[in-house]
Amino acid sequence: MWHFLRVAKSTAKASLISQWRFFRWGGMGLRLFPPLLNLGVAWALYNTLFKGETSLDFVMATNSSDYFSFVLVGSIFYVYIVSSLFGLGRAMFWERAQGTIEALFLSPMNYVAYMIGMAAASFITSTVDVLLLFFLGNVLGFRAQHIDVLLLIVGIFLMLLALFGLGLIVNAITLTFRDRVNTANTLMTVLLVFSGIVCPIAIMPEWAQIVSKTVPFTYGLDILRTALLYKSDIANILASIMNITLLASLYVIIGIMLLKRIEKNSRKKALLTVL
Amino acid sequence: MLGSQILKMPTFIFQGGRKANLSVLRVILAEMRKNYKQFFFTYYSLFWVLILPFGNGLLYYFMYLPFTKDYIKFEWLGRGLNVDIIGFTLIGQLAYTFFLSTLIAAAIFDREREQGTFEIMLLSPANRLAILLGNTFGASIRYLWLMIGTIAIFAFSFNVGILINDFLAVFLSLLLSFLALLAFGLSLAAFSIHSRRGGLIAIACQEPVAYVSGLVVPQNALPQTLAQAGYLIPLTIGLIALRLCLLGGVLLQDIQLLLASLLVMIVVYVVLAHFLIKIAEKSAKAKGTLALF
Repeated sequence: MWHFLRVAKSTAKASLISQWRFFRWGGMGLRLFPPLLNLGVAWALYNTLFKGETSLDFVMATNSSDYFSFVLVGSIFYVYIVSSLFGLGRAMFWERAQGTIEALFLSPMNYVAYMIGMAAASFITSTVDVLLLFFLGNVLGFRAQHIDVLLLIVGIFLMLLALFGLGLIVNAITLTFRDRVNTANTLMTVLLVFSGIVCPIAIMPEWAQIVSKTVPFTYGLDILRTALLYKSDIANILASIMNITLLASLYVIIGIMLLKRIEKNSRKKALLTVL
Repeated sequence: MLGSQILKMPTFIFQGGRKANLSVLRVILAEMRKNYKQFFFTYYSLFWVLILPFGNGLLYYFMYLPFTKDYIKFEWLGRGLNVDIIGFTLIGQLAYTFFLSTLIAAAIFDREREQGTFEIMLLSPANRLAILLGNTFGASIRYLWLMIGTIAIFAFSFNVGILINDFLAVFLSLLLSFLALLAFGLSLAAFSIHSRRGGLIAIACQEPVAYVSGLVVPQNALPQTLAQAGYLIPLTIGLIALRLCLLGGVLLQDIQLLLASLLVMIVVYVVLAHFLIKIAEKSAKAKGTLALF
């Protein structure tokens, strides 16, 4: 256990040092522009085009008419999704690109601990982006209706667990298929559209609602919004917690299985450094 | 014989009257062919010109659902039009994806640098503008994916509120918008020779351009300064012209000003590209920074 924690801690430390030592404004821009676009559009739609008037369906679905705050909560947590897909999801891909993957697999460490360390580093860096967005959102009109601290902590923990699982799966895909951006980009688009980041699931077309229910972040965002924006009944909250726990566990289990599989396969077929 | 003379004409023009070493048209065709072979049947292309536009289209459509399910108010020069949201989003995505294709093609010199072929390219007697033009045209061919996807999905599944009263206005809007976007792409490609971050610039431009061009929300809903900045990009004017004549059914005389602006942009951006290439090449050769990282 001690060894596991040491691997996770030292991986996170090394990754954080390299992320901040080679800090690039361009990279930060790439991470921040998509959520900023969502915020900008939400602000223009809510304040200028429709002058604060949301539809009755929206009010019924969210118990609030504040669309800008609704999108802000979605957008700031979308930053973590991007970080999971592009940071954690390509962790081993970049080790191979840098020529260090053989050394990584030769070391007697636990690879799950290594991935936890990478996830921790990615999520810490993303938290800086989230704080920036949160600050900007407050300037532009975000108002938290109430703060349920316990629910917020539970929501964030379960979201990060689901993202960790997703990151493990994407890591297996990018490493196996030597794919730098396509998987991450495609999943990012799908999650942005169907997680309920910009629109409540209840008012989406029926077919989109079916897709949304298979995405854990739908439930995660519902928990987070309940903790910050609107009240929901306890049965709904419990259902969301149960659903995201189930889906996140499933993702993590599949991710760990895939991690072990690719490690075995890469060694057996000598695929580690062949490009 | 006549065909050969016609082929030589653009070469003469591109070479500024000097003796041509390599036919401009051949360079354009070769670059288009290279682009097609390298990218057309790849998942990369499929993502940029099919998955991303449909994903973004759905996203922007969903952003309107908390407010309305039918129409939005679209204003131009004091005239207000109620336009269908699906049509508004669809036309926006079609034009924006073409813009993205030219934006990504703009990173051509980055790729050549990475492959180590940039110096060889500049050593060849091929016209630089022709290389860029061929590459940008090649990127436009990839756009076929989106056209096929759009026709296959939207024509049968959605009721898009198209209203056309003047086909000439539609034709000219399409033609001039696409030519202006091509010219803008050429300028960006020429600009990326100066930088070693052409790819990054191209990707980072996406969201700011999407916002100020009125792709997602009409220009009249944006803060005034941002809306005015948007008019420097041909996508903004092209989108207004296309939406007006495809969704508002306006006539040619109503969009004359827009078409004239697009025409001016074509000339300005082509000339700008020409000069940027010359300056960049001269400076890179003088400083020995062509292939160094």
